Amino acid sequence: MAGYIFKRLVSAIPVLLGISVIVFLIMAMIPGDPATAILGSYATPENVEKLNRDLGLDKPLVQRYFIWLGNMLQGDFGRSFSLNRPVLDEVLERFGATLVLAGTAFVLCSLLGVAAGVVSAARQYGAADKAITFFVLLGISIPSFFLGMMMILIFAVKLRWFPVSGMWPIYGARDISALVGHLTLPALALAVVATGVIARLSRSAMLEVLRQDFIRTARAKGVRERAVVWRHALRAAMVGIIPVLGIQAGFVLSGAVYIEMVFQWPGVGRMLVDAILKRDILLVQGGVVFVAACYVMFNIAVDVAQTLLDPRIKT
Amino acid sequence: MTLPELTRRTMMASTAALALGLGAAPALAQTPEGVLIVGQIAEPKALDPAAVTAVNDFRILMNVFDGLVRYKDGTLEVEPALATEWTISEDGTVYTFSLREGVSFHDGTPFDAAAVKFNFDRMLDESHPYHDTGPFPLAFFFSAVESVEVVDPMTVRFTLNGPYAPFLSNLAYPTGLLVSPASVETHGAEVGRNPSGTGPFKFAEWRSNEAVVVEANPDYWDGAPELQAVVFRPITDANTRTAEMLAGGIDLMVEVPPVALSQFAADPYTIHEQAGPHVWFLILNAKEGPFADKRVRQAANYAINKEAIVNDVLEGTAEVAAGPTPPAFAWAYNEALEPYPHDPEKARALIAEAGAEGAELTFYVTEGGSGMLDPVAMGTAIQADLNAVGFDVKIETYEWNTFLGEVNPGLEGKADMAEMAWMTNDPDTLPFLALRTEAWPDKGGFNSGYYSNPAVDELLEAARVATDQDERARLYKEMQVIVQEDAPWVFVANWKQNAVTNDRVGNFALQPSFFLLLHDVTKN
Repeated sequence: MAGYIFKRLVSAIPVLLGISVIVFLIMAMIPGDPATAILGSYATPENVEKLNRDLGLDKPLVQRYFIWLGNMLQGDFGRSFSLNRPVLDEVLERFGATLVLAGTAFVLCSLLGVAAGVVSAARQYGAADKAITFFVLLGISIPSFFLGMMMILIFAVKLRWFPVSGMWPIYGARDISALVGHLTLPALALAVVATGVIARLSRSAMLEVLRQDFIRTARAKGVRERAVVWRHALRAAMVGIIPVLGIQAGFVLSGAVYIEMVFQWPGVGRMLVDAILKRDILLVQGGVVFVAACYVMFNIAVDVAQTLLDPRIKT
Repeated sequence: MTLPELTRRTMMASTAALALGLGAAPALAQTPEGVLIVGQIAEPKALDPAAVTAVNDFRILMNVFDGLVRYKDGTLEVEPALATEWTISEDGTVYTFSLREGVSFHDGTPFDAAAVKFNFDRMLDESHPYHDTGPFPLAFFFSAVESVEVVDPMTVRFTLNGPYAPFLSNLAYPTGLLVSPASVETHGAEVGRNPSGTGPFKFAEWRSNEAVVVEANPDYWDGAPELQAVVFRPITDANTRTAEMLAGGIDLMVEVPPVALSQFAADPYTIHEQAGPHVWFLILNAKEGPFADKRVRQAANYAINKEAIVNDVLEGTAEVAAGPTPPAFAWAYNEALEPYPHDPEKARALIAEAGAEGAELTFYVTEGGSGMLDPVAMGTAIQADLNAVGFDVKIETYEWNTFLGEVNPGLEGKADMAEMAWMTNDPDTLPFLALRTEAWPDKGGFNSGYYSNPAVDELLEAARVATDQDERARLYKEMQVIVQEDAPWVFVANWKQNAVTNDRVGNFALQPSFFLLLHDVTKN
């Protein structure tokens, strides 16, 4: 197993190098440069040139890439010029906030999605299945940012049950109840689509398993239906469900961008959008590489988990 | 079959978990008295006045720092601030300021002539030990400054490399705000996160992406502020900002989107509006194509229904512009100027006279950008108006930074017209940088449409070196008449900045400078 993990880790290196090249080239190729973004209307060629020199952007592209890569390997991601602080500080702080949001949403959608899928499958074409299918399709069809705005309108502006935006209260204690209050709406809005997808795929994975011989055998041996569904069938179906969860984790993470914009959650997605608009090259590059690294690691973790469940996968 | 029970139990459990989440949500406390919560449009870059360029950052800075001079309340005319008086030499090149006695920076160090010199040397002198705390993108506001001398502890002298009339006005701009030299020495490049000025509020705390908090400075030389503290919250999404205002999460909201204004039309909200030094215009390519002919440029001015744009597209958040200088520069604005009326017949006649019927025009439109208001909708309305008088207008849309990269180097060979907007602090800035022959893009200026009129050049050069305000005003007024007649631009709109306050906020007024001044504001 250790060898397998090591092999997967080594294979991640070229992936990350490739990502660093791509994000670097994209930032170099998109029109508009940081100096123009900073100077706005005052961007005379002369001012732009001077500022680019001050920002160290006048060197050749290849040289700039290797300086950046070299610094990054030593843990120096550079300094964000639009926020005027080290890129790594900003990214870590923001990524923490995103993890809280996306992590909560992921736990919510996994539990609710799998539970809904199992119930649906166990009661195929029953009332529960039809009701769940209806809500699941509804959830999949509503864009999360729209849902978020509607939730703000109803639960924050009209009912005033929850704050509109942010992660912490501007005043008052920063305790868990304050966090839960701020987290509830965005986490729910973020979880809805993924819950639907997971529910649909869990349902079909379960249906497939429930038709198999060992289930019939278990029933014939008099195992209680609850145990058949939740112990025997679900365990077998998890092999099919876990990769779906892994993919949905990626969607939740990327869907967090919209939700962070709507709820002004101080996460890494909102940071990247702002940074791109401001042409904050180092912040975009550092942020993307960091997020990509986390995503690659997560995928490896999912694969390892799957291998533990079903050793046949390891090849 | 126990499954249904289990299902129900599972569902109930998850419902209960959710309800617990609801129950745990804190009762939303009212924001405290004496603490003003301001909804800003973005996280500030830094709280170092020399290093920033955004109006959003200026809104905080103007309350933490002072300059030598400032704009008189409700105007764009300078009055004393940290300098109590000044003299200007006969030739307009030497400014000597007497400084206010007994003023201290928030960090306790005294304000004196050495501090003034430190600030300008840091920005302008590349060999200054703290020049590396930059870059200072707007340092060119003071590029005329040759040297700053300490005459005595309370007198400082600026020597310019030539007469430069906008100098005092530039000193009133945020780039001229003065920071504590000790704070720069202590914090180096981090001074932007540890600001220390002399202003009515002192910096308390900056929680990244959450809030910047400033507290009242009880020893402020111009009287302690009414508020105990101000919290600036960055809320980049305009809809969310509107929702926060409606939910009571903020007391003051700036840059209200036109479509959201109706939400705040009734109690407990007050909408504030203030025209500022802003002009929204179309650059016309006077070098080549149909707009090389003055009659066609005038025709464009007649063809476009500016009333409809400001009233319908912008929902009344702007006024029709008459010429290149915004009316907010009251002393330099030519009141006699009337906007080009909407007259499609006259436009058609002028086009026919010039033989430009059916001309194809390429029109650069931006998706958004500083001061650009609602550029896509405005561009579409303009396209329709121009097509109605017989042009064939093709729109090309660009993201803001890309747009600047296309427009600033000049429209030659690419486009016939482009949207543009400027906000400035002196009537000199925009025409000097964008209308002179010497300001063509190849000479480093912003005259992207290649307008050239020697009479305008002469007036602008003369106005820049005249130190007498009445004389400057006369020159600018004359310039506006010629430029309006020559029509190098289509003059479209002057934006009225807006803000909304709730009924707990008192004594608030927007400034024509677009700065947010909170010294006198109250909150109960």
